[in-house]
Amino acid sequence: MPDEPVPLFTVQIDGVWHQFPKGTRVIEACAQAGIFVPRYCYHKKLSSPGNCRMCLVEMGMPRLGPDRKPELGADGKPMINWMPRPQISCAQEVSEGMGVRTNSPLVKECQRGVMEFLLINHPLDCPICDQAGECELQEFSVEYGAADSRFLENKVKKPKAVQLGPRVTLDDERCILCSRCIRFCQEIVHDDVLGFVDRGSHTVLTAHPGKRLENNYSLNTVDICPVGALTSTDFRFKMRVWFLKETKSICTSCATGCNTIIGTREDVVYRQTPRENDHVNSCWMCDHGRLNLDYITSERRLLEPRVLLGDKLDSSDWNAAIERAALQLRHFPGWETAMIASARLTNEELWLTAQLARALGVDLIDIVPRSGPGDDILLSEDRNPNTNGARLLGITSEPGARLGEIAQAVKSGRVKALLALHENPIETGITAEELSNLPAFIVIDILENAVTEKATAVLPGFAFVEKRGSMINGKGRLQRLNRAIRGPGNARDDWEILRDLLQALGGSNGLYSIDDVFRQMSDAVPEFSGLTLSKIGDLGVQVLRARGALSPLAEAKETAVPPS
Amino acid sequence: MDDAIGRYPPDQKRSASLPLLHLWQEHFGFISDDAVLWIAAKLGLQPINILELVTFYPMLRQRPAGKTHIRVCRTLSCAMAGSYQLMENLCAATEIQRNGGPEGIHNSISVSPDGNYSVEFVECLASCGTAPVCLINETLRENVDPYSIVDLLRDQTSNVTHQTSPHPLERRLVFKNVGRKDWKIDIETYVRDGGYEDLRKAVTMSREQIVNEVKTSGLRGRGGAGFSCGLKWSFIKPDEKRPVYLICNADESEPGTFKDRYIIHEDPHQLLEGIAISCFALNAHTAYIYIRGEFPEGATVLERAIEEARAHNFLGKNILDSGFDVEVYIHRGAGAYICGEETGLIESLEGKRGYPRIKPPFFPAVLGLYLCPTIVNNVETLCHVKHVIAMGGAEYARIGRPNNTGTRIVCVSGDVQRPGYFEIEVGAVTMGQLIYEMAGGLKAGRMLKAVIPGGSSAKVLRATERFKIKDRQSDGPTIERDLTIDQLPMDFDSLAAAGSMAGSGGVIVLDDSRDMVWALNNINEFYAHESCGQCTPCREGSLWMKKITERMLRGGGVTEDPHTLKTIGDNIAGRTICAFGEACAWPTQSFVEKFPEEFAARANKPVPPPLPPEYTPEELIEEQQIPTAPLAHDPGWEKAGAAGTI
Repeated sequence: MPDEPVPLFTVQIDGVWHQFPKGTRVIEACAQAGIFVPRYCYHKKLSSPGNCRMCLVEMGMPRLGPDRKPELGADGKPMINWMPRPQISCAQEVSEGMGVRTNSPLVKECQRGVMEFLLINHPLDCPICDQAGECELQEFSVEYGAADSRFLENKVKKPKAVQLGPRVTLDDERCILCSRCIRFCQEIVHDDVLGFVDRGSHTVLTAHPGKRLENNYSLNTVDICPVGALTSTDFRFKMRVWFLKETKSICTSCATGCNTIIGTREDVVYRQTPRENDHVNSCWMCDHGRLNLDYITSERRLLEPRVLLGDKLDSSDWNAAIERAALQLRHFPGWETAMIASARLTNEELWLTAQLARALGVDLIDIVPRSGPGDDILLSEDRNPNTNGARLLGITSEPGARLGEIAQAVKSGRVKALLALHENPIETGITAEELSNLPAFIVIDILENAVTEKATAVLPGFAFVEKRGSMINGKGRLQRLNRAIRGPGNARDDWEILRDLLQALGGSNGLYSIDDVFRQMSDAVPEFSGLTLSKIGDLGVQVLRARGALSPLAEAKETAVPPS
Repeated sequence: MDDAIGRYPPDQKRSASLPLLHLWQEHFGFISDDAVLWIAAKLGLQPINILELVTFYPMLRQRPAGKTHIRVCRTLSCAMAGSYQLMENLCAATEIQRNGGPEGIHNSISVSPDGNYSVEFVECLASCGTAPVCLINETLRENVDPYSIVDLLRDQTSNVTHQTSPHPLERRLVFKNVGRKDWKIDIETYVRDGGYEDLRKAVTMSREQIVNEVKTSGLRGRGGAGFSCGLKWSFIKPDEKRPVYLICNADESEPGTFKDRYIIHEDPHQLLEGIAISCFALNAHTAYIYIRGEFPEGATVLERAIEEARAHNFLGKNILDSGFDVEVYIHRGAGAYICGEETGLIESLEGKRGYPRIKPPFFPAVLGLYLCPTIVNNVETLCHVKHVIAMGGAEYARIGRPNNTGTRIVCVSGDVQRPGYFEIEVGAVTMGQLIYEMAGGLKAGRMLKAVIPGGSSAKVLRATERFKIKDRQSDGPTIERDLTIDQLPMDFDSLAAAGSMAGSGGVIVLDDSRDMVWALNNINEFYAHESCGQCTPCREGSLWMKKITERMLRGGGVTEDPHTLKTIGDNIAGRTICAFGEACAWPTQSFVEKFPEEFAARANKPVPPPLPPEYTPEELIEEQQIPTAPLAHDPGWEKAGAAGTI
């Protein structure tokens, strides 16, 4: 359906005329014109309260002649009557012939004044503040503030280290009362839990003691807090942000595939934060996905390949391990072999898994479905990140439909070789005893569990932060994972393990990099045709029609004005 | 309680938050944690929504007060009349130790050891003409003698007195009945006196006719801004589909102003008649009277008057057989000056903190109460509407001066012999006549030092100033006149030309015994206390200015202070969401500018005195439980397999 044409308004910004669609807020118009207007309370996904006064600009309206038509200047453009008072640019929309000045002496004076007011009662604890380095108070202070303080009084004292909820810690003295967090909870999560108490300069942000900030989106308030008031209890005091290497990736805790930035230093993940993608997650992600990182550094991480030698599972080097595993697989015909793959694997890994199945003549293959309660914000009921990939690449047509058959075949003894990729067969109904009776049971996984001891070969793979690759989210969007840290120990990237297994079974296959795998895949899969891993880009590509599993992301209205 | 909820639209139950909190506090004495949870559940709200209110409105308390709770006004006129002394003597008489509470913006409540008494400093109680005043429980006590505490505590009845005979320079229209000997506030007296005849006349007119009469009358709002009432009304579209609301702003809180109090107390039906006429003109079927919490008696008077008017079919369904329905409800505030700002008032009426809204887009006439078109008019303005209808707009416009029509009530307080209210023809009386003739002049042996002409937020005028006023004659030409303060006409335009404003009509007179730094500090304390805290410049600036003037008073003023004060004011005025920015900046800007020698004399230190430490040693040593997780794991390339863990 073609969009109705939106009228364009001509607007003068800092002396240059631009055109913007009707409904554009002035602050966004300035941004489109390449001019950044500083702001604290304004967030483009939330309503505009206009309370921080940092985005004050000079505005004017076209001068109207006696015929109520704009008078034109020598350049043929409307002449502008400038308003004597500065106006906030975050709440007003552009209108025809409007004039905006963002760097006039008055505007600079306003910015300096607001910065001074914001800082007089703000503690000087930047050296121990988690926000330091990504603090808009610091940044704008340098950019728009004055170097010295004229404040000779004691600062207002407020509560410190308040636990607003299980995951968010508040320092009220640092709070500049912009109300972003309050509006986020009201407008995005619909969980009205934060508010201001007391009045004037003594106003403090708080939650009612009987109802804490514990919704599944609470950590987004930390992201949008422009200062160090709201901090993540998990990340607090762990790492200075300027030491963090930032890697763009996606969250793999459910089918939504929220776009993320993984903050790491020296191969340790310190935090995961949402990255804006309006096709997927807007600016948000859920706490569940964000904090689902502990297993990466678990003591149960598998660090070395191990193979069964005699009756003992023993450490091995990779060449020997691959060889032994291939040997074990080759020993049985395809109809005596089953594979349990995972929708947590990337497309590339699933592609190679499918090739492996073909090479072995295996027909019994499926993934393990994983579901939990979803919400109508971001969290999907499908807790696997790449179910659509597994479907598209032919691993399964109905996730989990054949698991019973596999379990039955293992129980009956028809299947003698089982390959489990990043899944625990116990969860599919196969008993530990049945597993230990299998002549060949090859595990590719990252964590040790009860069944790894029963395996005939254990091949340690990588966690999602350690690998590059692609996945297709629940709405059919192809998105890219990027490697944020190196894998631990002697673990290997899963696509390499699979590639090596394929090579050991059938000779060279010409795959030297993950990009080769994708290229091979894109040649064969029409949905990927013409794409490369690079071409997927940071924001992903829609490759499937949405299956309707997800409702559209709840978003605050773009303007503060309700429809009349 | 259900009755209180029923006063608001069914989908706007949140509006009943303040009424329920008032009811709870009247019954239980304070707002407990349970109350917050109970009221939130009752209204389908979250507990935080109620907690936000309890802590915003200082009249709501979270701890019990004494059996007799005394609220002493500490704002300028009362302070000048000795309210600090009154508080001191009151504490001594009741053995109350003050200043025990933690630092906070709200003046703390102190309770006597026996629990019989509690005291609290409050901001302006809007009875500056009878300063000092205090509220004993719900009863206002005026002209309190700070040295007769025993009498004050023994006789707890109201002692409101009124000037019975108007001054010859007055022209009483709205105040016609105030102080009349045979006057009673019941509806029979009012009707016998010709009351509600103008409503009867109005409902025979068309809506456009009434709006046009108001436009013709030139009536300007009496709340402070002086905006044209007819123009404001004309913002409501005649074919408006959404419900239209009229709100009567009875949140009279501008220090120095005490006119609406007397209209409400002495002539409530005049106000109701004005409201009914205005509702008819605006096609508003619901009107709310937002009356400040410190007027409990006024609220009772109005409730009774509404009952009477309903019984006589001046309000209610099909009033006077006109086919027009109108209901008027009382909504009590709870001690927030900012709720006198029209959008702050609307937010408060919606059951939220009184945070003014941004304009655009939230102009009340477009997106007002419940985002419906709303007109907010001051009490006095609405009374004038009745008189505009009575005499016709053109006739009304003949009173006063061009663009400054009608009469207005001027309240004089401070250092004069006879403080009080005077209804004058706008511009027909000069400042000198007002102070020296009507208010009886200054106290013996005193000279005029300064006048704050329109409520405490108006810029101060120095007695020795000369004012250049452009005076447009009724026959055309404009002449410029050079006037002394005594010659200044009391009208909107002249006071604006003099660099100040007519504001709310509260004239505060200061004589030569007053320390201007002290006076400004008192005003600054008011604004620091009343700033809602929503937007940055006012929230931070108002408290900063107060801290500076307070330090200057204590002898710690440094040479930069006057300049700092002025620039803080400059950085607030015009940069805030609402006009409170100007209201809190103008006093500081004008005091510092007009009395430089007094400020310089108190700002003579080269360096400021040392500050008390922000944190006590105990606070600094107090250890925080900082979660220390194992840091930077070795990724284990070298040790892989050795330790087995990473």
